[in-house]
Formats: sequence, C-alpha cells, structure tokens
Amino acid sequence: MAQKLTKTWSLGYIIEHWTRVIAIAVLTFTGFYIHWPFIAGGLECLLMSWMRFLHFVAAYVLILGLVVRVYMAFRSTFDADWKDFGIIRNIKNIPDSLGYHLFIKGSHKDYRKYDPLQALIYLCVAAVIVVAAFTGGALYQGNIFGFIQAPDSFLWVTALLGGESATRLVHILSMWFFIVFVLIHVYMSIMTTMVNKDKTLTSILTGYKLKKFSK
Amino acid sequence: MANKDEVSKQFLDALEFRGIKRRDFLKYCGATAILLGFSESFAPKIAAAIENATKRQPVVWLNFASDSGCTEAFIKATYPSPAQVILDILSVDYNETIMAAAGKQAEEILVKSRQEGGYILIVEGGIPTKKGHGMIGNKEMLEVFKENAGPAIAILAIGSCATTGGVPAAKPNPSQIIGTAEALKRLGISKPLVNLDLCPVNPEYLVGVVVNFLLLGKIPDLDHFGRPKMFYGQTIHDNCERRAHFDAGRFVEVFGSKEESLNYCLYKMGCKGPMTWSACPKIQYNDRTSWCVKAGGPCIGCAEPGWTDKFAGFYERLPGVKIPGMDGVEAGADKIGAIAAAATAAGIALHAVATGVSGRIKDKDGGEK
Ligand code: SF4
Ligand code: SF4
Repeated sequence: MAQKLTKTWSLGYIIEHWTRVIAIAVLTFTGFYIHWPFIAGGLECLLMSWMRFLHFVAAYVLILGLVVRVYMAFRSTFDADWKDFGIIRNIKNIPDSLGYHLFIKGSHKDYRKYDPLQALIYLCVAAVIVVAAFTGGALYQGNIFGFIQAPDSFLWVTALLGGESATRLVHILSMWFFIVFVLIHVYMSIMTTMVNKDKTLTSILTGYKLKKFSK
Repeated sequence: MANKDEVSKQFLDALEFRGIKRRDFLKYCGATAILLGFSESFAPKIAAAIENATKRQPVVWLNFASDSGCTEAFIKATYPSPAQVILDILSVDYNETIMAAAGKQAEEILVKSRQEGGYILIVEGGIPTKKGHGMIGNKEMLEVFKENAGPAIAILAIGSCATTGGVPAAKPNPSQIIGTAEALKRLGISKPLVNLDLCPVNPEYLVGVVVNFLLLGKIPDLDHFGRPKMFYGQTIHDNCERRAHFDAGRFVEVFGSKEESLNYCLYKMGCKGPMTWSACPKIQYNDRTSWCVKAGGPCIGCAEPGWTDKFAGFYERLPGVKIPGMDGVEAGADKIGAIAAAATAAGIALHAVATGVSGRIKDKDGGEK
C-alpha cells in the first residue's frame, strides 16, 4: 500500500481549532475560580474581577468560534463538511465503529472525515456551547454583544430550569462536559495516530495526514 | 387617591402618642417616596395617603401554615418603627394573631369584611392541601382562602411561605403545602397578586406596596416571579457592602478566622447573594439597622421562589443536584463532574491497555485496511 501526505485541514480549520482550545482552557480555569476562588487576592489586583472579565471575553470567543465553524461547515472553500455530520447516517454507522473500538471487529468502514461517534460528539459539543451560552446569558448582567439585555432576555432559561441555582448547576456541568470531552478527544487522537500511523495528532498543526492508497 | 395633600396635625399627634416623632414619620415618608421612585417632595402626599388609608382602606390579614414570623417582624422591635405603626393603624379588620377578638366574634368581623368587600387581602403562610392538615374554625385553609380571596381587590402574599410554600413546604412537604399563586391557579380565581418573597417579609416592602397602591390605585410593576421590581430588581450581590472584597478575591474561609473579623466576602461560606434578587442591603431590617451579611451571615437566598429546597445547604456554594431517576440521591455538581472525569480516565486507561494487547499498535500498516 502506498501512502501519501494529504491536506486534511486548511489554515482556517487549524486556527478555528486552536482558538477554541484557548477559549475552553481559559473558560475552564476562570470558571473554576469563579465557582470556588482558590487563590486569595487583594485590592491591588482585583483577582475576581479579572477572572470574570477573562471568562466573559473567552465566552465571546467560544460563541463566535462556533458561528464561524458552522459557517465553514457550509461555505468553506477548502472542505465544507456539513454532510459529514448527518445524524441519522452517523447513528446507523455506530455499530460498525463501536464494534471496532471495542475490539469486536478488526477493522471499520472507511469514513470520509469523521468517525460516526466523533461526528456525533462534535454535534454535542456545539449543543453544549449553546447551552453554556444561554445559561451564561441568564447569569450575566449587562448587554451581550452590546445589545442583548442580560439577564432579561434569558429569563425563560431560568424559568425552564426552575430557578437560578439550577441555571448555575447546568452551566457548571457544561464545563465538566468539556473536561470529559477533551480527555477523550486527546486520547483518541493519540491512539489513532499510534494505531493508524497516519500523523493524525500533528495534522491539526501541519494540516497534513498520511492517507493510504491501494496500488 | 388622596384627596388632600397634607397630613393633619391630629394624625401626627396620634403618631407622637405611639412614640413616633413627627420628624421621623415625615422622614420615613420621604424614604418611602424614594423607594417608590418619586422625589422626596412627595413625602407629604404619602403621609396624607397613609392617613387616609387608616380611615378607608380595609385590610384583611389571613394566617395559614407559618410560624407567624412575618407578623412578628412587624410587632417585635426594641422601639416602634414608622412602618410598624403604619401597619398597626391601617384598618386591619382581621388578623388572628394580634387581634383582640377571638372565636365567633372574630369570625363575625371577617364575615362583615367579606360582605363589604374591596379590601386588600394579606396572606401570611402556606396553604395545606392535604385534608385535615390545616383548619381554621372547622374549615380547610384552602376553603378559607377561597372565601376571602373572592371579595378582595388585590392580594399580597407576604413571606416565603405565602409565595411558594417556604419552610413549611420543604421536602418532604407532608401537608402538601402550596403558595398563594398556586392556590389561585387551582381555584381558578384571577386577582392582582403581589409576591413579597423573604423570610420574614421586610415590613418596609409591605408598606411600600400598600402606599403605592393607595397613591396610584394599582399594584406596582412586577418581575417574572410576581415580585415588585422596585424591591426585587437587583441582586443582593450588586449592592452588598462586601462586594469590594469579592472583586478583590478576598474571602472568608472559615468562621472565627481573621478573614471573618476583617469582614471579607462570604461567597465561600455559601453566600447566595449573587443569585438572590432583593433590596436587603439597601433597605435592611429592623428600621434599617442591619441585614444578614452586615450581621456576618451569608445570604441564604430567602427572597427567591422555591426557597428553601432550592437553596439547601445554606453554607454550600451551590446546592445539591438531584440525579434524575435516583430518588433522594443528591450529589454536588463538582462530585458529578469529578466522578464523570474519573470514569472517563479509567475508561481511557482500559481502552489503552486493550489496544496494546490487541496488537493494533504493532501492526505496521496501521489498523485501517
Ligand atoms: S457577601 Fe455575598 S452578597 Fe456580599 S459580596 Fe460576598 S457573595 Fe456577594
Ligand atoms: S440577605 Fe438574603 S437571606 Fe437575608 S433577608 Fe435578604 S434575601 Fe434573605
């Protein structure tokens, strides 16, 4: 079998990925601090104020990043991949993929870009970003993007969840979702790289993966 | 509604007799004016409205399942405050806890009020819906409420018990106690309702709403929980005197510490100030003497509907989450997250070992064939 370096990610996708990594890292760190201030501050540095400021800035980045990603899924000139996220087709492919990952089968079908489980989890990530954004809006006091009044415009979120403490709980649980997701995501990319020897891990920096071709 | 703008000397003398100086009373009216969003020059109008109210506006005050803490909040103080006296002299036709009449005599007064109608109905306490768990004069409390809600022009639910059940409705709620809004819904009665959540209600909130009603003839603007925006428009946290410590990141870690004596922020002691909407820091309790955080205790969120259940434990940063499907099992959000993360890590380790054993990694061509 011949192997060839193939461009999998355009610069746009790479930047989009790492922007989200930074946003999630900042949000998780500052979010933990806001939830439980583990470093004592002082009047000189206004630690909590800064943490909250960074949290809000990173939240904007995360939300806008999702908007950009959705746009790219449909309009990217490099690879508009919205078709890869088809829910029904991916669900149908789960037994095949799961069978491989659980060592029941030795190989799996050739998926174009994403494993079915991967594609579905990415959709969940998008959904959780939306949940975090809306619960965050319900907890925020100010004008989001300068014109969406918070929390007034998000009162229905709090009403739906049954009170502001529930809103806070959902918001913090969304952070735990990201932590779990990142653990699995990083593990899977390392494992795939080791098993397939296709440079998956570095592809998100270089843009290139090894693809196999039958002679 | 006031047909004259000046309070009479006679009325002021009567107040003086009860221990309220004329100056204090007018000052109080000025403060109330500001609370209601008027300028302080409105004070004489408010004073006049109060005087008129003592002659005209009938009030019926019903006590249901509660510890009468809200009544206590009005009548117990080291010296009488204008708010107390005003409520004292409003024509409260019926209030079981403090009225002189009792038994049949009291019932007669209530029947008479009902016939005349047009009163403001103040409800204190939650309403038991389980048969035999709360009765007045051989009648179910829900029945008593139904009878008296009908002729009222407006209903004020005061204190957490009356709004959403409060302490008596806490889990497991053996008497199946409900709040006033829920009772109105079940009975199919529609009446203007003002919720004054707090445990106990702040007398000044009640006077504010009553005076607003007397002046403008309508109930004030309400938020989505039916609470007056003028008292519930900002969080405790926004007006808290310890907010500077919060922003700076200075927190009390344990009670009895140096940090506590320095009045640092009580966030880590479970303060619910950031999620509780009420004007406690501005208006304070007991004639503006103090309030929870000023007295050194974290806010426990009593101004929010669904208190207490939604806010227990009081000294925890976030109350427990109920895991659906597992009755009675509660775990903190952090515990859930940590367990999920640990389970993930274990799963990953297991999968890594299995992958090693399977020989997939050694396969030179890679797994995808
Ligand atoms: S004591 Fe409570 S309300 Fe006051 S600043 Fe701290 S967290 Fe906020
Ligand atoms: S500060 Fe909090 S606990 Fe205290 S009365 Fe106000 S809402 Fe209730």
